[in-house]
Amino acid sequence: MDKFLRDKKAIVVFVAPAFLLFTFVLFVPICQSVYYSFCEYNALTAPKFIGFENYKQLFTIDRTMKIALKNSMFFLIFSVVTQLVAGLVLAGLLTNIKKGRDFFKNVYYLPCVLSSAALGLLWMFVFTPKLGINQVLAQFGIEGPLWLMDTKGFIILPMWVIASVALWQYVGQSMMLYMAQISGISSSLYEASYIDGCTRVQSFRYITLPLIRPMVATAMSLNAIGALKFFDLIFNMTEGGPNHMTDVLATHLYQQGFKYFKYGYASAIGTVLLVLCLIVTFIINKFVKVDNYEM
Amino acid sequence: MKKRMLSVLISTAMIASVLAGCGGGGDTSAPAPAADEGASQDTAAAETETQAPAAGGDVEEITWMFWDDLNATEDLISIGYRDTVERFNKDYEGKYHVNVVTTNLEEYYAKLNALVAAGETPDCFIVSPGPNLDVYVDPGIAADLTDYLKADGWIDTFNGGEGAFSQQTYDGKIYAVPLNIAAACVFYNTEMFEAAGISTMPTDWQGLLDACEKLQAAGYTPLTISAGTAWCLSMLAGYLCDSEGVDLAAIDSGSASWLDSNVVNATNKLVEISKYFQPTAAGDTNDVATANFYNEEAAMLIQGSWAIAQINGSNPDFESKCGVFAFPGTDGRVIAKSDSLAMSAKTTHPDAVIAFMKYFTDDTAQKYTAEVGGKIPVTTVEYDASKAPAQLAYVMDVFGSAKSTFGFYNESMATTEAGAFFDDTMVSIYLGTPVEEGLASLEDFYKNNVWNK
Repeated sequence: MDKFLRDKKAIVVFVAPAFLLFTFVLFVPICQSVYYSFCEYNALTAPKFIGFENYKQLFTIDRTMKIALKNSMFFLIFSVVTQLVAGLVLAGLLTNIKKGRDFFKNVYYLPCVLSSAALGLLWMFVFTPKLGINQVLAQFGIEGPLWLMDTKGFIILPMWVIASVALWQYVGQSMMLYMAQISGISSSLYEASYIDGCTRVQSFRYITLPLIRPMVATAMSLNAIGALKFFDLIFNMTEGGPNHMTDVLATHLYQQGFKYFKYGYASAIGTVLLVLCLIVTFIINKFVKVDNYEM
Repeated sequence: MKKRMLSVLISTAMIASVLAGCGGGGDTSAPAPAADEGASQDTAAAETETQAPAAGGDVEEITWMFWDDLNATEDLISIGYRDTVERFNKDYEGKYHVNVVTTNLEEYYAKLNALVAAGETPDCFIVSPGPNLDVYVDPGIAADLTDYLKADGWIDTFNGGEGAFSQQTYDGKIYAVPLNIAAACVFYNTEMFEAAGISTMPTDWQGLLDACEKLQAAGYTPLTISAGTAWCLSMLAGYLCDSEGVDLAAIDSGSASWLDSNVVNATNKLVEISKYFQPTAAGDTNDVATANFYNEEAAMLIQGSWAIAQINGSNPDFESKCGVFAFPGTDGRVIAKSDSLAMSAKTTHPDAVIAFMKYFTDDTAQKYTAEVGGKIPVTTVEYDASKAPAQLAYVMDVFGSAKSTFGFYNESMATTEAGAFFDDTMVSIYLGTPVEEGLASLEDFYKNNVWNK
């Protein structure tokens, strides 16, 4: 290994592909996007530098941005909390059952591998007044709400509906991460705890939870970033409507960039999104303390 | 040494395989599968599909960008366009050949703009008049077609001559060619009207409300509309604004306001008539709302005449029960919309593009537009009215007796974003936002995005 590390040419050869890809596919476009965020640019004419005008409009005038920020924050908190709890509960339950573990694991994970666009359309049909749940409720004489159109309340009903669908879709992913970590915990630790009189719940509380904390931080970061850049389900279920009430940062960015061709303004939203992702990841890594234990 | 070489080779292969994925997209001039092969491919593959290239080395290849998948479409107008392309390629075999770049409507302008930004503007592209066309006229992307239209009397074949190009003319120059016209009318179920005791069609606002009241009393849903597809509700709002004398040009220039009493009155009318909508209007899409009509669950549908093909195609028995009248109280003004073709200012094959455009406005294509597509032809072509859908004759009556036409409200505003904001505001007001509050948000939008630009 030491010999290999001394061979600088080999290092260059192996690092070059990743370096080039990262530079030209990620780093350069990010820099370009940040530059465009200071421009008025519609892709059809040359970018015109306008300083902080886009950001000024974004934070002082744009009503949709306020709604999108609120919805993105709701999505972030909802996703991180519910996926943490539901993922842990499912992982805890499935590691403690012997019969049907693989079956349920696959069942819970299945939505993760399905196309979000297809699922979004499917759920949109389910919540459409003329086709889905409301027709079932009508059989019992219940008039269902407008699941995807109601606009009452601080967090409107469609946001709760979409967030729940997202939880259903992605909880399997969190569950798998936690299960992978749990399966790495030595069974001797549990056996010792049972000898000392621990119940299963106590062993989960005092052995499993502390030992999977590194994965909790990772899963929370992934969930948080995923929630912040969440797009496909919302776009397919509501397209941000009615009247932008279900817009999040990503759908707002899409509309400004690809519907109204305000690429400079959309780049400013993208930059805000990037900064938010960095801040949230920093906060999670800072406050979720990770101790390394011998497992 | 061998290991190093192997490492270099593997790394090169990795990079090449990654970069290979970046190439080729959007290369519309590459040879494509033959038409019969293409037909058997799935719809995803058809997204940037091309027609079979003609044989021969001196063929002038041009590209046409369109907003529907010509292989998978069931839309009768799109099918007519497909026939036109095939006809052109056959007639000009060995001289010109058109390759079609297709995408879905939702992504159309985004993809077109991406091509324009990349310096690969299609030689010819379809576009809606209004702010969508402004985007290509202002920076000089669309070519001035005036001389081509006037050169050999082509312009004289259009109904109304130069007047047919009012929505495509900028500073006296014509930048796009209309292919057909659709008029927004009120479609109604004649049997329901008869059962409700309505013998004469409403001609004013009160008459429309009275008809709704009678229909409701007779146990029918008076009006089906979609607020889930915002432009449908916005079309009704556009008619109401126009009937109240709202001057969009004055609003765009800042000499009138969205808070003026005529806009408030129009919006109050929207709220007033909304009690006659089907209960699920807020969530229904355009297709569902239209289906409510042809499935005889509602008595009236306010829609463009493009819906005729959908109505008759979905329920052929309904054609004989379907009547049409002009939206009441507009003083003879009708909302009209056209598909138009523009030519790239940078095309190196203008003659081929013009020849291609002419195929869309020749007698064969225009007859098809009326007799099969159910839209109003733009030329003076004579078509067999007995072959055309029954409703087209009613629409032609409405259109023929109209004093003037105006565009869709959302396509007549300063920008596409302003149009979308208007649509959303109308939906929001329908869903319960107070009229003054909704219009104030529209006023704010104009202050920040239109009037200060």
